[in-house]
Parts: sequence; C-alpha cells; structure tokens
Amino acid sequence: MNLLRIRRFMLSPYTLLSAAILIVPLFVVDPFWINRLGLYLVFSILALSMALCWGQAGILSLGHGAFFGLGAYCMAMSLKLLSPDSLNQGTPFPLPDFITWNTPPGEALKLPWLWVPFQNLGFGMAAALLVPALFAAVVGWFVFYGGVSGVFISIITLALVVILNLVVIDQQPITNGFNGLNNLAPFDLAGVVFDPYGLPAYYLIAGICVLLLLGLRWLGSTRAGLLFRAVQADEQRVQYFGYDVAVYKIFAFSLSALIAGLAGLLFVVNSQYASPTIMDVSISIAVVVWTAVGGRQSLIGAVLGALAINGAQNALSESGSLVHVWQLIIGIVFVLVVVFLPRGLAGLGADLWQHLRPQAKAVEAPALVAEAELLSVPVPQNSHQSGQRQS
Amino acid sequence: MKRRTFIQTMATSAALTSVVGCSRGAAPGSSADGGETMKVGVLFSLTGGLEIVEKSMHDSTLMAIEEINAAGGVLGKQLVPVVEDGASDPRVFAEKARKLLISDKVATVFGCYTGASVKAVLPIFTQHKGLLYYPTYAQGNECPSHAIYTGAVPNQQVTNFIDWTMKNLNAKRFFLVGSNYVFPREMAKVAKIFLQENGGEFVADEYLPLDHTQWGPLVSKIKELKPDSIFSNVVGASTVAFYREFKNQGLTPEAIPICSTVTSEVETQAVGPEFVAGHYSSFPYFQSVDTPANKTWVANVKDKFGANTVTHHAMECSYWQVHIFKQAAEKAGELDPELMRKASLGLEYDAPGGLVRIDPDNGNAWLTPRIGQCQADGQYKIVDEYAGPVKPLPYVAYGETEQNLYCTTSGLDTTKFNPQEQQS
Amino acid sequence: MLGSLLSGLSIGSVLLLVALGLMVIYGTMGVINMAHGDLVMLGAYVTVFSQRLLHVPFLLCLPLAFVFTGSLGWLIERLIVRRLYSRLLDTLLATWGIGIILQQVIRLTFGPELQNVSVPVFLTGETRVGGIGMPSYRLAVFLVSVALLLGVVAILHRTDLGMRLRAVSQNPQISACHGIDVNQVRAWTFALGAGLAGAAGVMVSGFNAVRPTMGSSYVVDSFIVVVVGGVSSLAGTVASAALLGGVNSVMAWLTNDVLAKAVLLLLAIAVIRFFPKGLFSAQAR
Repeated sequence: MNLLRIRRFMLSPYTLLSAAILIVPLFVVDPFWINRLGLYLVFSILALSMALCWGQAGILSLGHGAFFGLGAYCMAMSLKLLSPDSLNQGTPFPLPDFITWNTPPGEALKLPWLWVPFQNLGFGMAAALLVPALFAAVVGWFVFYGGVSGVFISIITLALVVILNLVVIDQQPITNGFNGLNNLAPFDLAGVVFDPYGLPAYYLIAGICVLLLLGLRWLGSTRAGLLFRAVQADEQRVQYFGYDVAVYKIFAFSLSALIAGLAGLLFVVNSQYASPTIMDVSISIAVVVWTAVGGRQSLIGAVLGALAINGAQNALSESGSLVHVWQLIIGIVFVLVVVFLPRGLAGLGADLWQHLRPQAKAVEAPALVAEAELLSVPVPQNSHQSGQRQS
Repeated sequence: MKRRTFIQTMATSAALTSVVGCSRGAAPGSSADGGETMKVGVLFSLTGGLEIVEKSMHDSTLMAIEEINAAGGVLGKQLVPVVEDGASDPRVFAEKARKLLISDKVATVFGCYTGASVKAVLPIFTQHKGLLYYPTYAQGNECPSHAIYTGAVPNQQVTNFIDWTMKNLNAKRFFLVGSNYVFPREMAKVAKIFLQENGGEFVADEYLPLDHTQWGPLVSKIKELKPDSIFSNVVGASTVAFYREFKNQGLTPEAIPICSTVTSEVETQAVGPEFVAGHYSSFPYFQSVDTPANKTWVANVKDKFGANTVTHHAMECSYWQVHIFKQAAEKAGELDPELMRKASLGLEYDAPGGLVRIDPDNGNAWLTPRIGQCQADGQYKIVDEYAGPVKPLPYVAYGETEQNLYCTTSGLDTTKFNPQEQQS
Repeated sequence: MLGSLLSGLSIGSVLLLVALGLMVIYGTMGVINMAHGDLVMLGAYVTVFSQRLLHVPFLLCLPLAFVFTGSLGWLIERLIVRRLYSRLLDTLLATWGIGIILQQVIRLTFGPELQNVSVPVFLTGETRVGGIGMPSYRLAVFLVSVALLLGVVAILHRTDLGMRLRAVSQNPQISACHGIDVNQVRAWTFALGAGLAGAAGVMVSGFNAVRPTMGSSYVVDSFIVVVVGGVSSLAGTVASAALLGGVNSVMAWLTNDVLAKAVLLLLAIAVIRFFPKGLFSAQAR
C-alpha cells in the first residue's frame, strides 16, 4: 500500500515536472541558456500566481503586471543603490546615476525620500513581496466588498495597471521613467552571490518555483482551496452558508499578488533590470495567455504554458523568417483555446490521462465530496466553467 | 516499472538534448579566428512601435555588410550578421544583447536606437566585454568604455541649432516639448543651459509619453503662451499627432516654427509633408546633401528598398559605421573588443554626408552640423551648414571645450565633471 | 479657460465617436468587445487603402469603412462570439485575441510604418464660429459624431431591427418566445457596433498616427466612456463623453495630460464601484 502510494507520488505530474525543472541545468552548458531557462521559470511563477487567482478563485485579473512590476521595482531599487555606480557618485549617500541627470542645474542632489529605506537590501526584498500584497489587499477590499464581480474586476485591474504604468513613466525624476532601472548590483545574500548566469541563481528560482507548485497544490486541497472553487461555482450559495466570501477573495487575490511580486523580485535577480515595460498591459495579458493556453485550472498547466509559449516565442523570433508571424500564431492559438479548449492544454492532457487510467479519478472524487460535506459546502459541479455571474 | 522509468528518462533526456542542441548550434566557437567567416551582431527593433525607424537602420547595416562581403570581407573573412529583434522594448534589447555576447559569442554588435535601449545594453557590454557601435544621435553626458557612438551629440545638433534660431529667426522665448524619457529631458536640459548662457529663455517645458496622441491641450497651451519658437524632442508615433494638431489649431511655421532634433525624413513621411513643411530640423545628414557620394548612396538605397524609401541621419550612421568597423578590424587584426575600440579611434571615412572621423578621445564621431527646413515634398532644404566636421563634445552643456575635455580614453574625468559640483 | 473648454469639447467628441460602437455592442449584448480599438484601427487602414489605391475622397471613406468593418464584425460574431454567450469572461479574452490577430494581419499586409492620410484642404486650419477660431477638423469630428449618434438613435427607435434589438437586450428568452431570431439580431448588432468603430477610425486617421497598434488606447478610452455613462443609455454615453472630455481637458490644463488620463481611469474605477449602472443611467437593466 505504502509502496503504491510512493509510486503514485513519484509518477505524479507534479513530481515529474519538479524533477525536470531541477535536473535540466545539469544538461545545459551555455550560461546564457541557464539564464534564459531561469527567466522562463520566473514567468512560470507569474503564471502560477495567475492560476491561483483566476483558476482557483475565479478572479480574472488583467493587471497582474502591476504586482509583478512593483515587486521588480522594489528589488531593483535596492540593488540599484548597492551598485558601484551609485556608491561612487561623490555623495555621502548612494545615489542612482539618473538622479544626477534629472536634477535641474543649480539644485542640490538628494536621494528622494521614496528611495531612502531601500538602502537596506532586506527592506527591498520584503517590500517586493509586501507592497504588491498590500496593494492587492486594498484593491480587493475596495472591489470585493463593493460587490464588484466578473468582468468588472478585469476592467478595474486593467485600469490599475494602466494608471501605474502612466505614473511610473511620468514620475521620471524618481523612477527614471521609460528607461527603467538598470546597471544593478548583483544579488548578494549573506555572502552568496547569485550571478544571473550561474547555477545558484537558477536554483534559487527553480527551487521557489517547485515549492510554489507543491505549496499551491497543497493550498488547493485545504478548506480555503475548496472554498475558492465553491465560490467560483456558486458564490451566492456559499454566502448563504455563512462564509464571508469577500475575505476569501481578498486573501486569494493578495496571495496571488505576493507571488507575482516574488516573481518580480526573481526577475530582477535573473535579468538585472526593471522598466515600465514589465508593468504594462501587454505583460498582464501575456500572463493570462500563458495560463489560458496551459490550462487556467491547472498549476502544472500554468507552468507548462509559460514555458511553452515563451520558448516558442523566442524560437520563432530568433528564427529570422518567422519573426513577424509569431504574434499572429499566438493570437490564433489563444482564440482557439479560449473558444474550444477552455481548460487549456492541461485539460486536454487530463482528459487523455483519465481516458487511459479511469481508476485514478474514482479514488479522489469521493474524498472531495466527503470533505465538502464536512464543511457543508456544495461541491462545485462545473468548476471548469469560468462563466461568471455578475450584475 | 523499470521499463517505464527508463522510457521516461529517455524522453526527458531527449527533450533536454534538444535544448542543449540549440544552444550549442548557436555558438560554434570564437568568431574572430574560426575559419572563413566572422560573426557580428545586428540588434534593432524589427517589431513594435519603433520598428518604423529601426527597420531602416537594420536594412542599411545589412546593406553595408553585403557591400563589404562583396568586396572580399574583413581580414579575408565573410561577415555573417547574427540578427536579433529588440522588439522596441529595452528589456528585450538587454536579453538579446546577452544572447549575442554570451551565447553567440560575437565581439561586435551594431545596434540600438532609443537612449533607453542603449542604456539597457551598455552595462552588459561592459560586463561581458563586447563592443557596441551605436548609430543614433544622443543626448551626451555619457562616456561609455565599450561603445563607439557615431550619431550626433549636443554640440553638433543642439547648441548650433539654438544659436542659429536665435540669430536667424529672432527667437528669444522658447517652448520646450519632448517625449518623456532620458533623451528628450537631457536634450531639453542642454537647451536650457545654453539658452540661459545666451540671453534666451524658455517659457515652459512639457513631456508626454512616447506613444501619446492627445495633443489638443498642449497645443492650446502653446497658443496661449505664444513662444517665438518650439524646441521639440518629440519621438516616435506621437510626432504625427503633434504636427497635425499644430496645423489644425491654426498655427503656422511662420508664426511659431517648430525646431526639432528628432523629426527627420522618415518621420516627415509619416506625418505628411504638408503638415511639416516650413518647420526646421537639425541633423548632420539630410537626404538632400548635395554630394556625389550621397547621390550614389541614395540611389543604391532606393534601388534596394524601393523608390519610396527615404534616407535619414541615423540610417546613414548605421551604414558608414560598418565601414569604420571594417577598417578597425583590419587595423587591430582581431576582433578583441578593447583592441577594436582603440583601433576605431581616429579612423576616417568618406560617408554619404561627408567626411566623418571617430574622435581619438571620446569615441564619438566628428560630424558636420546642418539645419534643414522641410519642403512641400518632405525633403529638407539645407539652410545652414558648417564648413567641415566638428569635434564631438558630449559634455558641452557642462563646460566641456576642445581644450578642456571631460571624456577621454581614460574615461570620464570626475575632477572636471562631478555631478555633485556640477550642481552648485 | 475658454480654450481648455473648447479643447474639452473636442476631446469629448472624439471620445463619443470611438465609444459609440462599443456602447451599441456592450449596451445591448453585455459583451465586452476588446477588439473594438482594433476595429477603429481597421477603419483607419480602410481610409489609407482607399485613398492610396482607389483615390476615394476622404469623407467617402466613412461609408466604405462602415460597411467593411461592419461585415467583419458580423463574421466575428458568427464565428466566435456566438459560442461564448454563456461565458462572459471568455468573450473578453477571445475578442482580445481577435484584436491581436487583426493587428498582426494589418501589420503583415501594410507593414509597421506610420501611414499618412491626406485630409481635404477645407478640413485643415481654423474655422471661425461666432468670433472664436475652431480647428476645422475638430469641428468635422464633432459633426460626424453627432451624425452617427443620430443615425444610431434612428436605427434603434425607428427601425424594425432596432425594436428587436431593444427587445433582445432586455430579455433574450422572452424575445425568442415572441419569434425574434435572437442570433440574427445579435449578429446584426455586432455588425453595427463594428461598423461604427470603423467609421470612427476614418475620422481618427485624420489627426492621429495610423499604425497597427493604434487601437489599444481607444479601447480603454471607449470603455471608460461607456462605464461612466451607464450601459444602456445613449444619452448617458453622450453626457459621459462630454464630462470626461471636460475633465480631461481641465486636468491637462492644471497638471499634465498623463495625470489627466490617470484621473479619468480612477474616475472610471470609482464609478464601477459606487455606481455600477453608470452616472447617467436612469433605467435599470
């Protein structure tokens, strides 16, 4: 019995994917590819945060780029202040080079107050997680207690990322605007330097990705996870059972934002760069596309979707002749998936898997029902349908 | 069970080999001494909003490479361009620059248009020892160690322009307008300093995002403030909306001329010449430069890319800098970036726009300042032209002169240019 | 101040122009058409194409673009949107995908460069209206948006299709029981909305850069107008366009255009939260 369990665990898609992520670099010699695979995993983490928020809690955020970007900026601000360039400006405090550019002639140089706490790397790292989470909590509180739902949440989040992007570009003297923050110090934590082209950085990202994959899977099996899905299936009924649905939604949304912020932090470790283009509408939509194509309900699908689309995108854009058609291809694939495969490629895979091993599902279904009964929550019947009831 | 594990291992490793396969395939050894060919990187935006300008720069780079190959290559080797797409996004520029230097192991890259993209890639060139030839007019205030800049710097494009405008258009009060990022802001700062020193003034300075298209309120503001002239550093698609709104609100170049450092032939074509005619631009090169070398070059370009193609300053630099690269490689004998940079210094070339020289001190280019007025056909009539190329001074706004250089082969002299002191 | 009021009026008329099509689709079908901006873009390219190859006069491009993008809208409804009425969030995603496809197809055929549309001479410069100089082109935009608005009102309230359309928007099931072909009506509605987007694109092409990605800002703008105005009232859309145009212009005058845009977006968020039926919507859905 135990052996069977171990075997099932070993062969579960989660274990296989995690193992693959962890052993890939042993076969890759080129440091550039180590770095690039790390980048894809960063995007996978971002897709995981979207799968949590959209797939599990039913909140389609079109503004996840805002959380990703905030995380990246917080981290980049700290690393910018630690870079040799900022330390050698001839001022008693570290000063980012662009501030000298943007200070009008004749005015004294000073570190803007927003930057001051970021001289501490620990603060920057904590802020990279907490700023997006708190921002999401405030937005969530504002939105979910107002009874805003469905499409309107998407629109509000979309508007938020547009606003944030506009403000960051406009506040050029503080943020360096369109140019963003670059020329950063390498990420050095307690003496370990995470060279973006080396294995430590890769394993930092890969390790976090694997932990999140397993952690979110666990979360899905808890009471909260069950409620997320129940809310998605029938929000009103869950409310009648006495649950404060808004609290659960805010929790899911903030946790998702925190993970997106973490992805932003890791993005900076990997790319040594942050700019408004990583907190704009197109990256927000890109995450949705990865997650939709991979399978919005499936954590594995989200990771694979991000890996596959980014891989394909780079392969096509570096192939020369296809550089101009990849966006068209992605557009077509996206429309087809949304219309015909709402559960994405993971849904397709799961159907095939179930077809081959019909007994696997049979074991799990009663357990889910029993658990739901304990919680007196209706089992979501059609949780793959993301049809939102709204106003 | 064993069999299954085995199959899975096989499948995984097959997938892995394909990954490794691509990476190895893309990096067959060092480019300089690896046989009959020599790889160079070409990095411009082939997609996205800036494709409009950067595609023409990409084309003329490849055109120069073809010419060099047809004439026997460099050091007897054929140049093989490794083309990457920056997708109008500084993040992608940085990623592709890394790919070129680390994975493809090219030593030299031709590329970048916006200041944002060049700022994003420069640290990578310094860190991974590459050499960037950057063919765009820039804002100065830079002293990069791993790049050669072949476009204009402020003393070849801004100070002469403002001087001319004040003297010939009787302009005292300037309205500064630009896109909101480093290049336009620094250009405006240079202009402000220069205006202050020469008894002019600026009545406002406004910055709008790169893709901004709602110019109504700003043009109304211009109308209210009635400046003598507008100094414009508006970049990209919003140029179109700006000139159109300007004319639509009834303003004319006779009343308030727009003096632009960005609007070249290619932007004019997009705006529609009827909206730009009468306004001024300042560049070291215009398509209308009347030399045999330019006539041949323009004819070749039209031949190759179609009769409607126009040439412009950044495109011209993209072209001739490849020829400078050839000379430098032949002088250095190998593609080591540091030797190559040293070898590039002092080289001369008879470019379409006249003689150019890479400055032996700061690695920018000696260029001939010119001012053109847009005509009804979208071409520029040259209204002012220096007798010959002028030494580039990237720190001219901060007191740099030919006798007192801030940026030299040993880098930026911080005793002369210290951001802290500069402010006081 | 007068200047900024006039500029507010002109911004408002552009907003109304681009939002009308979205309003028709969203107000009657509840479908958020994210491809709306790209249909505007398509209208602009119809102008480029007709001017350059067929030498059609500028204003004649209006009906051409209307018919072209309208037919395309009909096709989009038939092929894709129809399958998603039970999944509202997915219509948003699918229409977004369609927008990407449209952009890329245009980009592959016309190239990425900015296209230049020539505007008839009588539409450039200023026209004097009662002693005040008005940009002629803005005046034309204003007149065209009013004309289109009246056209939509006429279709909705004076034609058979309009009556059915209003019926379907109030209650599709009961309409079906009364023998209305709901599918047919929805397809025509979508076509009408898309056609209006195309017509807006023609006018936009006269003062803005025509390029494949130009649509993205218009979809956001139009959405703000519709949300603030309320989903089911044309009068609300008009009032909202005027209000937002004014706010934009005044904010731009006080601070700058970028912050003005941010304020508009915040306003839209607040309206969604506190007035989900819009500021000007009298009747409930």
